[in-house]
Amino acid sequence: MPLPDALPLPIQLAWLIPLYGFSGMVLSLPWATGWIKRNGPRPAAYLNLLMTLVAVLHGSLLIQEVLSLGPQHLDIPWFHAADLDLRIGFDLSLTNLAALELVTGMSLIGQVFALGYLDKEWSLARFFALLGFFEGAMAGVVLSSNLFMSYFLLEMLTLSTYLLVGFWYAQPLVVTAARDAFLTKRVGDVLLLMGVVALSAWAGSMEFDDLYVWAAQTPFSPLAASLLGLGLIAGPMGKCAQFPMHLWLDEAMEGPNPASILRNSVVVTCGSVVLLKLMPVVRISPVATTVLLAVGTISALGGALVAIAQVDLKRAFSYSTTSYLGLVFIAIAFEQPLLALLLLFTHGLAKALLFMSVGSVIATTNCQDLTELGGLGPRMPATTTAFLVAGAGLTGLLPLGCFWGYGLLVQTLWPQAPLLAGIVLLTNALTALNLVRVFRQVFLDVSHPKTRRAQEVNWLMALPMVSLAVLVLVTPLVIQRLDSLHSLTTFSGLTTVLVVASGSIGLVAGCLIRLDRFWSRSVIKPLRTLQDLLAYDFYTDRIYRATIVAFVSGLATLTNSVDRVLVNGLVNRIGSASMASAESLKLGVSGQLQSYVLTVLVAIVLLLGSLSWFHG
Amino acid sequence: MLSTLLLIPFLGAFVLLFWPGQPVPGRMRVVTIVVLALQLAWSLRVLLAFDPDVGGMQLQESFAWVSSIGLDYRLGIDGLSLPLVVINAALTLVSAVCTRDISQRPRIYFALLLLISGAVNGAFLAENLLLFFLFYELELVPLWLLISIWGGSERAYAATKFLIFTAVSGVLILGAFLGLALFTGTVDFSLTPVLSERLAMGSQLLLLGALLIGFGIKIPLVPFHTWLPDAHTQASTPVSVLLAGVLLKLGTYGLLRFCLGMFPEAWALLAPWLAGWAAVSVLYGSLAAIAQRDMKRMVAYSSVGHMGYILLAAAAATPVSLLGAVFQMVSHGLISALLFLLVGIVYRKTGTRDLEVLRGLLNPERGLPFTGTLMILGVMASAGLPGMAGFISEFLVFRGSLEAFPLATLLCMVGSGLTAVYFLLLVNRAFFGRMAITPASDPVADARLDIRLAAVAPRETIPAMALAVGVVLIGLFPAWLGRISEAASTTMAQLPALLASLQISGVG
Repeated sequence: MPLPDALPLPIQLAWLIPLYGFSGMVLSLPWATGWIKRNGPRPAAYLNLLMTLVAVLHGSLLIQEVLSLGPQHLDIPWFHAADLDLRIGFDLSLTNLAALELVTGMSLIGQVFALGYLDKEWSLARFFALLGFFEGAMAGVVLSSNLFMSYFLLEMLTLSTYLLVGFWYAQPLVVTAARDAFLTKRVGDVLLLMGVVALSAWAGSMEFDDLYVWAAQTPFSPLAASLLGLGLIAGPMGKCAQFPMHLWLDEAMEGPNPASILRNSVVVTCGSVVLLKLMPVVRISPVATTVLLAVGTISALGGALVAIAQVDLKRAFSYSTTSYLGLVFIAIAFEQPLLALLLLFTHGLAKALLFMSVGSVIATTNCQDLTELGGLGPRMPATTTAFLVAGAGLTGLLPLGCFWGYGLLVQTLWPQAPLLAGIVLLTNALTALNLVRVFRQVFLDVSHPKTRRAQEVNWLMALPMVSLAVLVLVTPLVIQRLDSLHSLTTFSGLTTVLVVASGSIGLVAGCLIRLDRFWSRSVIKPLRTLQDLLAYDFYTDRIYRATIVAFVSGLATLTNSVDRVLVNGLVNRIGSASMASAESLKLGVSGQLQSYVLTVLVAIVLLLGSLSWFHG
Repeated sequence: MLSTLLLIPFLGAFVLLFWPGQPVPGRMRVVTIVVLALQLAWSLRVLLAFDPDVGGMQLQESFAWVSSIGLDYRLGIDGLSLPLVVINAALTLVSAVCTRDISQRPRIYFALLLLISGAVNGAFLAENLLLFFLFYELELVPLWLLISIWGGSERAYAATKFLIFTAVSGVLILGAFLGLALFTGTVDFSLTPVLSERLAMGSQLLLLGALLIGFGIKIPLVPFHTWLPDAHTQASTPVSVLLAGVLLKLGTYGLLRFCLGMFPEAWALLAPWLAGWAAVSVLYGSLAAIAQRDMKRMVAYSSVGHMGYILLAAAAATPVSLLGAVFQMVSHGLISALLFLLVGIVYRKTGTRDLEVLRGLLNPERGLPFTGTLMILGVMASAGLPGMAGFISEFLVFRGSLEAFPLATLLCMVGSGLTAVYFLLLVNRAFFGRMAITPASDPVADARLDIRLAAVAPRETIPAMALAVGVVLIGLFPAWLGRISEAASTTMAQLPALLASLQISGVG
């Protein structure tokens, strides 16, 4: 270790943090592969929980040390060849460590929840192994101090998302969902890889700090800068499920709910954290910044609209994740890193809580169709409370978490781009509407056959849910504490009024709209068209199928037929032609010795002649 | 020391051929495995004796053989050939281990296997053009026999195609080597670079062109690739492992050693075209793979695509890209061998490789869950997911080539994305979903729930597991391999640059 011994042990050993998750995976393997069959898969889950707990504790120790010593940097060489130097780097700053605590803490809470949720799952060990892998990769991403390592771990995240979404691989919808999740993210990753390779070749060092200096000093041609910037934002766009690469998150809801909790809260956070770290480089390209802003805006508004038309309990909120991350992208495009982090933090907590509440409903009723749910409020008080707290935390209405994010965002945007500020407010209203309508349908309404005998979930699910609800409730205090450091919450009275007003409009609208089953797909033609348009997500999947999928498969078919008919056909024809000529030559042989001698002589003369001509 | 690497397999082949009594398949196999284990151990000994700081040839052995025609017995090893020698020993061992159900003529089968391994070692170690050619041809006939005797139903067509293509490749290579002697007027078949003061550029281009097509057939590059899918589909699993893992590397090795190494000036002239050729090959192979139904054909076409990266890296000829080429050779050897092994297991258990027919093989009790897990690992490695060998190889290739040929490199990266497409389709179709191994057109049979595949014994997956461990180890700790090959690839990369500077100073 190239560090002076004076540093405290937790800092020297910070490189262990991603390894906790990975070792959890390795420890689970005997159960996941079925080598140990005697005592069920639970030990794997406990081992994973233990490793995550260690990661959380180590993270807390790190925060203490960093608070007293200031930010630290850890650097380990990994691969060196010629002018290429790839390193493993950890940036132990307070923001990174806060993100780490969010990731590992959510992972811990999610794993406890999973123990209850997947109680009867036969391959529990595999699930926990994958969660360990997932957590290790995320913990590495948030601490990473260089682009190469971030890319490396982002791809691992892609792989583990694929495996987690495909966890119940025997179901047809899961098969397509896993495929789409992998391919969509992979497209973003390949574009990001292009950016990473280009940066590695041009800038040399991959450390973010060096890249910032390099990007500020180097003159670029507009084309190169635009391509580079677009490549760099493509990866986070895929990870954060932004339009037009948002399809996978919605489909990924086919996976087990505990993984959805993590995906909707911390995985998207990881993607944004990478984008945040890349932002000073992306800034060299105005085109990329504009695209980022446009993507964020479309996602924020589109996601909020599409969410309203969903009848699936989980999908209604996965689109809201897309929408929320769109706001984060807007904040990043306006170069407000602290604001983006605040949004991510508050959203991560509240969204995780929301998904726990939703997961409890699904676990109890075995149903996620909104039209078949109702009247759960009195039957599941803890779940209902969790939903209410999460909903309040996600909207800009009560001064819980996201209220401050909305306020600050509006405050920032108002002078520069009032239109965008309006869109943010509209998003807030639509999110509130969505939450209220789901709440009415699931928890208020009369009870349906599937919900009549519902009861509160077991303690393994209730405990993490209630703890997280308390956390969400105390976020304002955390923000207040941070406020003294960064003056985050200073926005004007007008902004407050605007945010509260937009939230109230959403609330009231959500209370007023008709929700009976017949309205979920109206007979009135224009309304129905609109409902279908939103319910099918602007038909994005069909657009994909008609364009890019058709293009690639058409090209593949074309190549294959060229290969079979043209290339292989030519080879076969040469073969049969030579066979045919041999057959006919066979008949032309006279058998006379003189003719053979003559042929040999002519051949020798020709050969020698050509050689001397060639040589001369 | 190096001659022992040839002696072990050749002597082993002789021992098998003259083994007294009726050949028992099991005993023949054990003897082969022992011989190959010895060969692997000796390769590792060479690895220990190897000094990674030296860029040129080491541990050289030479003695005059038929000096009048320039054929000398000269062996040497450097950072380019050493990993390939080790891979050769390891993969031949793997293919001997995974040969289980050989019933006819085991004696000849295993002797041919050893012969191939020895000949490949000879080709990698040869420091004389004619000697290389001898070994290059020596490996050809045994492989032809392996396909045409122990192959599938269309083996005659595939084997003949393989033989003709590779024989043409051999003729072209020999022609180029002899042409070199003819044009320069000397019988010098050593590995000295041919410079323009010795030979005019036109002749250089002619010879290089012949070599390029010759090795391009062997690698194979589009459009000379059609023998490969046929050969793979008809060959048995161990032969496929050997073919993809080791024999294709002869082509890429020849590309680096003889094309780039012998004709650096002509190479520099052609490099932009070669990069374009590489991009076409990568995209063509990847797109064709998407449309395949047969798992083996799909893996074979993926080889066509992945070999294109090596041509790209060689065209760029920077230290990083050449190191990437070595990495790609090693990782492609391991990964494609792994994939062929797994496809072989699937074929043995289900009797089919058709992606339209196979469904849901991950099924925990009745299917092939562990094979499926390894398959996911294998395809992800092939698609270049980090943490496995494919990623670092592709990263090095792309990183080294980007500045020289930006467009071709970007197109190759698109090809890397397409790899994910077809391999994901493979896993999704064959391993996910509800289990079935009958065509979907037959509704009665398709709805059968009582399919129960024979369990895969742990010993059947041991070779695959070993390869998977290798793939992950190289992916996580690439510095080991980098240390061995860096000096050699840097030396090779400096060759064109050095010549360019010499020329400039000479002209000035």
